[in-house]
Amino acid sequence: MLVKELRQGLRTRSFIAVFLTLQIILGIILLSAGALATSDYAGQKISNVIFIFFSIAVLVIQPMRGIAALSSEIKGNTIDMLVLTRLSAWRVVTGKWAAIVSQSALILVTIIPYLILRYFFGGMNLVGEIMLLLLIFVTSATITAITVGLSASASAILRSILPMIALPIGAMTLLGMIFDGGNSNIAEFCALDTKESRIFVPCYLAACAYVGFFFLSTGTSLIAPYAENHSTLRRLIALALTCIAAVLCSFSFTDPMAIPFVFGLIFAPVFAISLSEFAPLVSPVFQKFSRYGPFGKLAGIFLFPGWPSGVFFCLLLSCVSVIPFVLNQRPTYGSDEPVIFALCFLGTLLFPAVIINLFKMKGAHRVSNYVLFGVASFIVAMLLMGLVETMSNKDFMWLFIWIPPVLLFMQAGSGFDDGDVFVAAIVIDALLIGILLVLAMREYSFSIREVKKSIASVE
Amino acid sequence: MSEAAISVHNLYRFFGPLQAVNGVSFEIPHGSVCGFVGANGAGKTTTMRILASLDYPTMGHAEICGINVIHHPAEVRRLIGWMPDHFGNYDNMTVLEYMDFYARALGYKGAERRQRIDEVMEFTDLVPLADRFSNKLSKGMTQRLCLGRSLLHDPQVLIMDEPAAGLDPKARVELKHLIRVLAKEGKTIFISSHILSELGEMCDSLLFINNGRIVHHGDAESLKKSTDLLGGVLYDVQLDGDPQALSDWAVLQPNIEFLESRKTGGRIRIDTEDPNKAADVLSRMIRDNLRVIDFHREQRNLEDAFIDILANLERDANFVPAPPPLPPQSEQLPQEPRFDP
Repeated sequence: MLVKELRQGLRTRSFIAVFLTLQIILGIILLSAGALATSDYAGQKISNVIFIFFSIAVLVIQPMRGIAALSSEIKGNTIDMLVLTRLSAWRVVTGKWAAIVSQSALILVTIIPYLILRYFFGGMNLVGEIMLLLLIFVTSATITAITVGLSASASAILRSILPMIALPIGAMTLLGMIFDGGNSNIAEFCALDTKESRIFVPCYLAACAYVGFFFLSTGTSLIAPYAENHSTLRRLIALALTCIAAVLCSFSFTDPMAIPFVFGLIFAPVFAISLSEFAPLVSPVFQKFSRYGPFGKLAGIFLFPGWPSGVFFCLLLSCVSVIPFVLNQRPTYGSDEPVIFALCFLGTLLFPAVIINLFKMKGAHRVSNYVLFGVASFIVAMLLMGLVETMSNKDFMWLFIWIPPVLLFMQAGSGFDDGDVFVAAIVIDALLIGILLVLAMREYSFSIREVKKSIASVE
Repeated sequence: MSEAAISVHNLYRFFGPLQAVNGVSFEIPHGSVCGFVGANGAGKTTTMRILASLDYPTMGHAEICGINVIHHPAEVRRLIGWMPDHFGNYDNMTVLEYMDFYARALGYKGAERRQRIDEVMEFTDLVPLADRFSNKLSKGMTQRLCLGRSLLHDPQVLIMDEPAAGLDPKARVELKHLIRVLAKEGKTIFISSHILSELGEMCDSLLFINNGRIVHHGDAESLKKSTDLLGGVLYDVQLDGDPQALSDWAVLQPNIEFLESRKTGGRIRIDTEDPNKAADVLSRMIRDNLRVIDFHREQRNLEDAFIDILANLERDANFVPAPPPLPPQSEQLPQEPRFDP
């Protein structure tokens, strides 16, 4: 797959254009800087320019090529021919991803001579800048995994939302690098000189690996036959990570506010996919679990593909994530802020799932509907918060607490009692969980009945 | 291993309220060519996709060479070659690179891969196109490329969905020739088409599907020799002399209908397929001084036979008992494509 994608990819106009433009721009800048350099900061400025153009190429343009990776195969009806070969759906997806990442690596390699030349201008934090370059590359690979994974989605909205999100984020990052003291601060942080950076860099790499795997696996599920079950492995990895995070957060973290952020990072993708996953329970998958007797049946409740078991699984993850909060409830914290934040965030993740499952939205668009409702509720909450800031009486915000992101903003903003928000978050979460549980149990028992009937019809 | 190369039993596939495949059962023996005929939306492509392990039935089961397509899709995929009804080609990839990619994807390595590509390209006459970009080929060339791709792993069963659609006459003849050669090599071929006359020439048997149900399974010859909707058969009669004499004679005969006049005779319809009656008609013609130089039963064309079968079904619908109750429709099984078309 990689060979075919590279053959095609290296011939595409977009790659050739990016590659040549980058070389020409960097060449011109380096030559002119070499001729005009008078200050000690010349090297720093050259570094900035190199990183800005490299970031545009690998964080914005290259990942955007992933948007068409699987959708072009689906539209062209070539995906059927691919999955009929010995290539597994996973290899198809990772091959597409690896081809784009390889081209990004090619761009990275061609940057190195400019960095070597820049070294002679002085003032270079060698380890920091190389590490920063690698982190940008890893980020690029992760964003590419997201775009490639989602490119198998039925929803054109979801696929077209991505560039709209990626572009501003990429642009903001670049502006931050230019106007916020250049890349030197970031490079110094990345040099692994401090304890924070030695913790942050591995954690960041692990997070990238998890997010990248998760989206590639999601793309695989979307193109694989229903008899191939990729959901279970994905959920098991999320469960393992949640357990590790629970242990680490219980005994290592000093700042309790970090706990909801850590779990939020793990939960966001797994909740989005598991609560909206449209994957029918088919007999081969069911029978694999049934082989393990009662243990298999119990595991199936949480690990069968499809959103009904996804609901049970997400609640299981939520229960695991409660452990560090319980263990860390020491008087020194002084407030319930992390707990309130975690409850509001949980509600924010559950709310779109309740909407799409309550109104039985179409299977092919469930993930995109989840994302769209999530984004929409967030925007509504932001607008309401903006509105309430201009008003003297803020009580009208309580009318909108059924939109969980509103609670998130109320907790973060001033003028609302933490205790009230805490109670509201518990009530809203309980309500959302209750609705989801009822819907999931009904659908789960129905799908079990159907799959048993299907097995009986074959026998 | 099952005796049949393709075996389908009580297959159902629902898309929401649409019953695309509705209790289909049939068997196709090894080494035979079977044509699959039906109107658009009759359920041909859905059935074929299930057989190719690309779709999942709501109920029932299907086997390729005795292997269940639902439980063992990977094994089934090694046995089948699949030609979809429409497909795109890759940009920036030559025909040779295209074949090379699929040969690699099918697990061929080194010299074996090159040899297999050469064999298939030669068989499908793709050698002169080796350096052409695959997305710049004509429809006929593209179909040959697709056939070549589907033959790379030397499958036992070929499933071809409308392979002749959109081809010009020359390309159609070439494709027909290739299919005949493959049939001679002993491959089982399951092919759908709208062009029934071509299927009749190529296929050992024909499957007619309508509204998701199989309405006929038999060989083309029996269809060609079948009676029309009312049980009558057509005869072509050639005379030595005035052709008008035939129509004048036929008007006076019971159970005979004159259909059309021809240059040296005409077509008549006898309302029974009993050969003794035909012999009686001929002897009466001779007795009545019609100078008959040719009298033979016309073979029906397959389109007429297909339409008559459908009309028969419609006519009988009021008399046959209602079909057995359908299995309850699953809300959980896939009811819509996962991808936007």
